[in-house]
Amino acid sequence: MKTFALVLVLVVAATMVIGIAGLPPHGDPDGPIHTHVGARYLERGVAETGVRNLVTAVLLVYRGFDTFLEVVVIFTALVAVLALPSATRRPPPARGESTAAPRRGSDDAVPVSPVVFFVVRLLAPFIAVFALASLYRGHVTPGGGFQSAAIIGAMMIALGLVFGREHAARLVPHGAKAWLQALGPLAFAIIAFVGWRLTGAFLGFPADEAAHALREAMVVVLEVAIAVGGAVILAQLFMALDAPS
Amino acid sequence: MTLFGLDLDYVACVVLFCVGLYMLVAKSNLIKKVLGLNVMETSVFAFIVTSGMIDGGQEPIVVAGSAPPYTSPIPHAMVLTGIVVAVSVTAVALALIAQIHAHYGTIEVDELKELP
Repeated sequence: MKTFALVLVLVVAATMVIGIAGLPPHGDPDGPIHTHVGARYLERGVAETGVRNLVTAVLLVYRGFDTFLEVVVIFTALVAVLALPSATRRPPPARGESTAAPRRGSDDAVPVSPVVFFVVRLLAPFIAVFALASLYRGHVTPGGGFQSAAIIGAMMIALGLVFGREHAARLVPHGAKAWLQALGPLAFAIIAFVGWRLTGAFLGFPADEAAHALREAMVVVLEVAIAVGGAVILAQLFMALDAPS
Repeated sequence: MTLFGLDLDYVACVVLFCVGLYMLVAKSNLIKKVLGLNVMETSVFAFIVTSGMIDGGQEPIVVAGSAPPYTSPIPHAMVLTGIVVAVSVTAVALALIAQIHAHYGTIEVDELKELP
């Protein structure tokens, strides 16, 4: 198996080295990646979308379908994970020696170090503020909905590891959980139909100058939905994978 | 920076990809296979982002004080999509591995093959 893997890796590496030898040098302003549609986005992106962070402009306005289906993909992943029977909650199978091994998974299997406990508790509000800043300032600095979702999700996972999952689960209101998990796809669907009513194109954004505020509001709704929905999905994925016994 | 006419940044991505591929094929532990897959994905993201860079370029955020040349925003947006898909794949794979462990008590492929 190891020999086969080495041969395979060498063959793949040789193929890829031949491939990159034919690529245009990167960093060249006249390279094909900078002269086609990318140049148009850079030239007219701000005027057409009103979003100063052009990555967000490409993500939400120019290539909204891509992002729509992206939030559907991660939502589907959550559905798939939740649809599986909880592996760690089920009693061990009654076949042979596998029952003998003690199963981990309970919250107090390993006591949390007081240092870790203190540091996580101390840092959590700052992490939350950083996530909010990344969302709020995302149009003029690097950041945005997905980055904010990753930061909030990581904070919730860290809190879940330290305080136990029951406490961390309370961060998400129980009644709203199902809606928050689906917030990304829902918001995209609503904005898509709003855009359809306004422009005649599914997920279209009004282009004229008069609708600037409306267009901005649509982008903000999408960003917030991505941030909150993404964070809840990330935390839920982690909790579902590591459910207590 | 080039070596034998090859772009060193791209070569680094190829090396990282091959490390991940080797982990994916040679290791029998399913978690290590998922880790290998993640290393491969990371190398692809690095490759795509590298291809969009520009010498002396700024991040593509048009505010007061920023000036062209900007790096291309498309690779960044594409990679953001790719990262989300990678997270989804990893989550589902880990959930399935947890199922396999609960049912068979092992996640080693060679041990799973010998099960009746």
